[in-house]
Amino acid sequence: MRSSSSVHCMAACAVALSVIVTDAVRAQQPPPQKYEIGVMPPGGPPPRLADGHVDFTGHWFPNGAGQGVSGRYGVDPAATRQFDPKATPEEPPVFQPWALAKIKSMTPTELELSKSSVNCMPRGVPAIWLQNPYTTYMVHKPGLLVQLYEVLNNWRLIHLDGRPLPKDPEPFFHGNSTARWDGDTLVVESVGFDERTYIQPNGWFHSDALRVTERYTRPSMNYLIVEVTVDDPKVLQKPWKSAPRRWTLGNGEIYEFYCTNNLELEELQKLREKELQEKGGQR
Amino acid sequence: MNGRRARCAVLVLGALAAAVSHAAAHHSFAAEWDARNCRDFTGVLTKIDWQNPHPYFFVDVKDANGKVQSWSFQAYSPVTLRRNGTDRQVFLDHVGKDVWVRGCLAKNGKPNAAAAGTLKFSDGVLRQVGQIQD
Repeated sequence: MRSSSSVHCMAACAVALSVIVTDAVRAQQPPPQKYEIGVMPPGGPPPRLADGHVDFTGHWFPNGAGQGVSGRYGVDPAATRQFDPKATPEEPPVFQPWALAKIKSMTPTELELSKSSVNCMPRGVPAIWLQNPYTTYMVHKPGLLVQLYEVLNNWRLIHLDGRPLPKDPEPFFHGNSTARWDGDTLVVESVGFDERTYIQPNGWFHSDALRVTERYTRPSMNYLIVEVTVDDPKVLQKPWKSAPRRWTLGNGEIYEFYCTNNLELEELQKLREKELQEKGGQR
Repeated sequence: MNGRRARCAVLVLGALAAAVSHAAAHHSFAAEWDARNCRDFTGVLTKIDWQNPHPYFFVDVKDANGKVQSWSFQAYSPVTLRRNGTDRQVFLDHVGKDVWVRGCLAKNGKPNAAAAGTLKFSDGVLRQVGQIQD
């Protein structure tokens, strides 16, 4: 006769196996199961400011759930993402040959070091919309959109008075911006970016010719859609357009998050030096 | 937790890992922690050091010879822990009590240091408190 602990273990493993089987079945069939955390419904019409424009004020989560999903169980996979690549596929960027060669020459550790999640540099625009797992709080008033980024406690002011872009812009992580309304879409054009940022965490760097267009819409109370166009003729053969990425309205607080005392950088630099030695000066 | 139960827990957790939402990676896990060198720890939670970008918690673990050693465990960011239901107060409520942790050891051989993955306090609730890498 088996001991009770063996029986308990077998029972627990059976439960665990059922999870695996359930996952396998889920991959083959439409999702029938109930999740504890699902996709947030769109809600009613969006709020508007006194001037009649859509009000973007809110605490926005970079997922479909309207709450944190990291490290949580029972989350509908559809609620973890910002867009469905099958419904709104995102074309890869088409790099200039020299830029592609530069990216390909990066060692695995150099790629790691280029990530703002690793090097603790500000993500900057447009990466704040493309590679940011933390929330953003927006405060919108007539003439001004304030963006409070939880990650690294960064912030950005976007003036909505149509002011011209500077001719010789100072390089900022979030660029120099001007904004205009296109119906219910807020269109923000930005130039003058700090060249230490990366567009995406795959080695995609940018030049001083980077021009970013952000298109913000709030089609309903609970949804914020951000679409980004990256125009950088020195690096790209043609402008790149992101999928419309959905952020969802949360009701929690924005919290302090700093990246400090990053001891991993020292370890990564050692790995990088080792990789470069192994490449034997092939670059 | 005896050896059999620990092995069982590993099996169960390995399966459940497939059901947990992918965590937002912060720092480069691979730079500092060895995903091929992970193990289960049981002991007593002694204190927490709640800080950005990663809180640390400390556990008194008995080694094979019965000698108690203090281990430190790195967790998710405070923001992520708060949002997944394992905030600072939860840790504080369990100081001085038994805890089970799955953790991966430091690559550079730093003694008694690990990155936490899953954790169970005495309430038996399985909690994801750091990146799963095994």
